[in-house]
Order: sequence, then structure tokens, then C-alpha cells
Amino acid sequence: MELKFEQVSKNYKDKKVLKDISVKMSTGVYGLLGPNGAGKTTMIKIMADVLRPTNGRILYDGQDIHIIGNEYRAKVGYLPQEISFYSNFTGGDYLKYSAALKGMGKLYTKNRIEELAYHVGLQDDLKRQCHTYSGGMKRRLGIAQALLDNPEILILDEPTAGLDPLERVKFRNIISAYSKDRLVLLSTHIVSDVEHIASKIMMMEYGVIRYMNTSEEYIKMAQNCVWLAKMSAEELVEYQNNAVISNVIAKDGVMEVRVIDEEKPFADAVQTASTLEDVYLYIFDYLPEKARR
Amino acid sequence: MSLFMFELRKLLLNKKTAILLLVLFALYSVIGFSTSLFLIGSNDAYKDYETLSADYEGAIDTEKAEKSKRVYDEICARYGTDSRMIARCIKDSPETILDVKYKEFCERIDEYRNGTPPESNEEPYGINTLQSKIGELEKQGQQNTFEYKKLCDSLQKLTALGEPEFRNILLWENLFTNWGEHMMQFLLLIPLTFLIAPVFAIERSSGMDHLILSSRHGRREIVTAKLLSVLVTSTVVVMVYLIATFVFCFLPHASFYGWDTTIQSIPEYARSMFGFKVWQFTIVSAAWLLFTGAVYSLIVSFISSRMKSQMSVVGISLAILFINVGLAAMGDGVVQRIQMIIDFGLANVTLIKEVFGGYKVFNVFGMIVSYPVMAAFVLGISAVLATGGIYWGQKHRAVV
Repeated sequence: MELKFEQVSKNYKDKKVLKDISVKMSTGVYGLLGPNGAGKTTMIKIMADVLRPTNGRILYDGQDIHIIGNEYRAKVGYLPQEISFYSNFTGGDYLKYSAALKGMGKLYTKNRIEELAYHVGLQDDLKRQCHTYSGGMKRRLGIAQALLDNPEILILDEPTAGLDPLERVKFRNIISAYSKDRLVLLSTHIVSDVEHIASKIMMMEYGVIRYMNTSEEYIKMAQNCVWLAKMSAEELVEYQNNAVISNVIAKDGVMEVRVIDEEKPFADAVQTASTLEDVYLYIFDYLPEKARR
Repeated sequence: MSLFMFELRKLLLNKKTAILLLVLFALYSVIGFSTSLFLIGSNDAYKDYETLSADYEGAIDTEKAEKSKRVYDEICARYGTDSRMIARCIKDSPETILDVKYKEFCERIDEYRNGTPPESNEEPYGINTLQSKIGELEKQGQQNTFEYKKLCDSLQKLTALGEPEFRNILLWENLFTNWGEHMMQFLLLIPLTFLIAPVFAIERSSGMDHLILSSRHGRREIVTAKLLSVLVTSTVVVMVYLIATFVFCFLPHASFYGWDTTIQSIPEYARSMFGFKVWQFTIVSAAWLLFTGAVYSLIVSFISSRMKSQMSVVGISLAILFINVGLAAMGDGVVQRIQMIIDFGLANVTLIKEVFGGYKVFNVFGMIVSYPVMAAFVLGISAVLATGGIYWGQKHRAVV
């Protein structure tokens, strides 16, 4: 299975939100990272076929998704950024309604709802009205909805927003287990969500995909650029305005600062292994825009 | 549960709508009940009226006509000429009601024979008027004109129907007033607007569009399910109106007297060219209201499919309805200039009195086509356009 973006662009009036995106995806988990306004959600909406591109096309196994329409949508599971519910629906109703929209059979629906409710930990809450759910429960219900028909393509827009750390780990495990022979696109602000499970990560900015690499390749990009330095709180206040700092830990009145820099920032700074979060900062905060093109 | 059942649940089978329907049923019942009691004060009074009117039934009687005219003049001298005021003042006196009704019947007979005066702007009506107009056209050698064909057709139908006969039709008259007056448009179409308005708009305002549009059945099947649920909802609301007004119109007096007479015995339908019996016309009227309610609901659904907010849908739909009603209520000078808009506007096509109450025909490629047929055709076209527009819109809809 292959999904191919061919010079896909999207304009809202005069504003170009996506600029000639060309990317090829097959099975595996794809992470989509980028700052706010990068065009991630627009790209996801186009991929979920709820938004039409201004130019270009998306090919699913060589066929234009706009032309195959229902056939393509039947293979898609989509979790939008903001999950909405009908006020008088229970969690079970919501999943059954989603199943009806996906054209699932009765028995299959029943089995899948039971199975997924258990996986997302909502088995005891399906009879409660959706508006009584907490933010995390709503998110988990949304995830169950997206996975309902065992989609070949799973599109998740900020799926872990509102989940507590335990739920996030659980979610990552579900996605990892699920991604075999399937394509999962996961857009997020939280780097750690994709760091360990994504086979490829796309870094997006200003409507353009700047990079598409594996986690290891990214880490190599910034492998000599992460430093640990110690300084006082006063020095840190002055220093942080002109530096890219990925983390600060206060220890016995001394600040241990994680600095992103291609040059050694201080004589006593010690080089350390980079993480994907460091790379994210390196790309979007350290590198000048020209260098990213 | 099928998609249709879910859509029906969202629109109709939920607590809010059930409460609204109960309230509407109570309101319609009160209307049916109060109009029936307003017509004739008590059950005993109605029974007296039924007995008294039995003597008057049949063809016109000059002696009774003179008596009723005398009584009517006395009433006018006492209460004025406003028919509503008269009706209110005499509701406890069956004899006086009978005289007033008989006097109105005599006027209808006169109208049937002599019809509209030559200077009238109304459609020519009455045997003498029609014969004289036909004669004029024959003298001018205009036998091949549509006007000539129309007048001949009108005369033929009027002759076939024969002179109206007096019948006790009091309760049915009240029923058709409830079903065919402007009040019905407000009582029925306004609640319908509020119920149908969210059908598509709610998906946009709630954000459920994402889920729907990205799913296999989210572009076509969902529209079918929603439109079916709209039609069921519209049918239920109209049925609530019809049943409540019907039951509470007849219940206070426990009588269906006059059910087998012709509709020409009802004053408002005296000029109708349709040979329906009252019971047949009850079915036709109910079917017409169900049909127009369904078409109106489809138009509201179309507006809903183009809007983000339910209140905008309600606002636009009601504005269309009120503009139509307002235009139809304009003076003759305005109405004549926009006659086609008035004829096929919502205000007129939803009123059974307008559609079935007179002789109105249209020239379609030289053929005489009656108003109900043309109105059904125009409503059908509107329904098809609205439905097509909704399907097209959903197919091309995007979430920005």
C-alpha cells in the first residue's frame, strides 16, 4: 500500500497554507512535527478527504483519492484535532453512529466496540452521556472511533492532547501494535509521542515539509550540537535571550542547562547525546530559515 | 442501528422533540377545541342547530331566504357588519346562526347564477357571467383563444356541479378554516422550521463534519438518511396538527354531520370547481398539507446544508415564509404585477383554500392545467432542486 502526495498545495484566498507538498508514504508510523501554523492540520484534512487541495493530488496505490472517493474513505480512520459529540449521545451511541457511517455490520460493530472500549479503558463508561466525559476520556473515545473499522490508513491529529502520561504511554502502545501492515500518520506537538514509534518523521514549516527522516537520522543531524553547561540563575537569565536552550535543571542553586549550539558555548560545557526534542529545537529555533530550505 | 435511525433520533426521537410535540399537540388541541366552541356555544346549542337546519337543507327556498335576510339585517343593525363580530355575538343562538348561514347560502346561489360583476378584477364566475363573456368572445371571433377555452371549461364544470344546496356543514367549515387559513402556516410551518433547521447545520456547528465527511457513507448515504428523517419528522408534525385539530374540532359536539355533502356547501369552497365530497376533500387536504409540509422541510434542509448556525437557518427560512405571506397580502395592484410569484409562493401553495377553493387554471402550451396540478409540479421541482442541491453540496463539502 502506498499513499503519494503529488505537488499538493492549498490556498485560503491569497494565503498559501500548503506549498507543493510531494511525499510518499507506505506502511508504518509517520510522525508529523512542526510549529503552530505549519500546515499540519491542513495536510491531515486533505489526507482524510475532508478538504480538497487547490492543486495537486493524492494517489492511493496509484489512484486519485478524489476519484475513488468512498473506496478510499472506507480505508481511512480519522481522529480530528477537536473531537465533537452530540449532546444526547452516550459513548456507545457515538461509536455505533461512527460504525454506521463507516458502513459496518451489526455483529462486527458490537465486537469491535467491546474490543476497543477495553483497549482504551472505556468499557464501563459506554453508557454514560458523552458530555459527562473528561477531556482524556473524550480523546480515548475518539481514538476508539478512529480504529473502529480496522482502517488501513489511520490519521491522527494531536491524539494525545489532554491525555495523562499513563494514557499517553498506553496510546503509543496501541498505535505501535496497530501499525503493522498499516499506515499511521500522527501529527503532534509532543515530540516524545513520535520519537519511539514513528518509522519516519516529517518536520513541517510554512506549508512545506522540510525534512523526512528516521528518528536516528534526525539525532545524527544534531549529534555534535547538544551541550550541558552549568551557570548561576542570574547568568541564565542573561544567556537565554541569545541561546537555544532545550532544558534547565536546578541542582543545589546551580543551573544545569542543555544548550543547542554548533559551537561549544562555554569552555566547561560538555557535549551530550541529542534527543529528538533537541533536534526539533535545532531545526526550528537554531538553524536560520535559509539553512532549512 | 442504521444511519437513518440515528438521524431520526437526532431530529425526532429525543426528549426535547418529544416535549415540543406534546406542547404542540396541546396547542393544536386547544385551537381545535376553542374554534369549535367559538362557532357555537354549547353542545346543546349545536344539537338544536342540527335539528333546526334539517328543515332548511336542500335547494334554495325563497320564503326562508327572505326571513333569513330580515334577521341578518337586524343583526347587522345591532352588531355591525363584521362577520367575526357577528359570529361571536350569536354563538349561543342556534336560530340566529342558521339565519346567518342561510343568508350566506342565498348569496352563494346568487353568485352561482349571476356571478362576478363585469367590472370585477376577479376570475369570471357564475353561469350568466360566463355565458355573457363567452358570447362576447364568440362575437369577436376569438373561439381559438385560451381565454375562450378557459371560460367554456369553467362554465362546463360549473354547470356539471349544479347549484349549491344548503347543508349543515358547520363543524367541517371550522375544520377547513383551521386547515386552510394563514394561521395554519404560522402554527405548523414555524415549529417545523425550528425542528428541521439543525438537520445539516448541527454537523458544522458541532464539528461532527470531520467524522462524517471522512467516512465511507458521509457523502451520499448520510444525506439520504437525513432527508428521510426530515420527511418522517415533517409528516409527524403535520399529522399532529391534523389529528389534534380534527379530533378537537368534532369532539366538543360529537358529530360528523355533513361529511357526505359536496365541498361547495362550505362558504370558502363555494367557488371550487372540484366535485369532492367533504370526506374526500378532508383526505385530499390532509395529503396536500403533508406534501407541502414535506417540500417546505426539504427547502429548510437545503438552507440548513448551506449554513453553519441553526439560528441562521431559522432566520432565513422564516424570512422566506414571511416575505411570501407578506407579498400575498399586498394590495391588488402589487399582486397583479407579481401574480406568478404569488401563485407559486409558499403563502399560497400551502393554503388549501387558495389551491382548491376557486377556479384558477394556467395555459401550458395551449392546454388548460388546473392550479393544484401546477402547484404540485412547481413544489415537486422545488423539492427536486433542494434535494439535488443538498446531495451536490455534501459531495463537494469541505471542512476548513
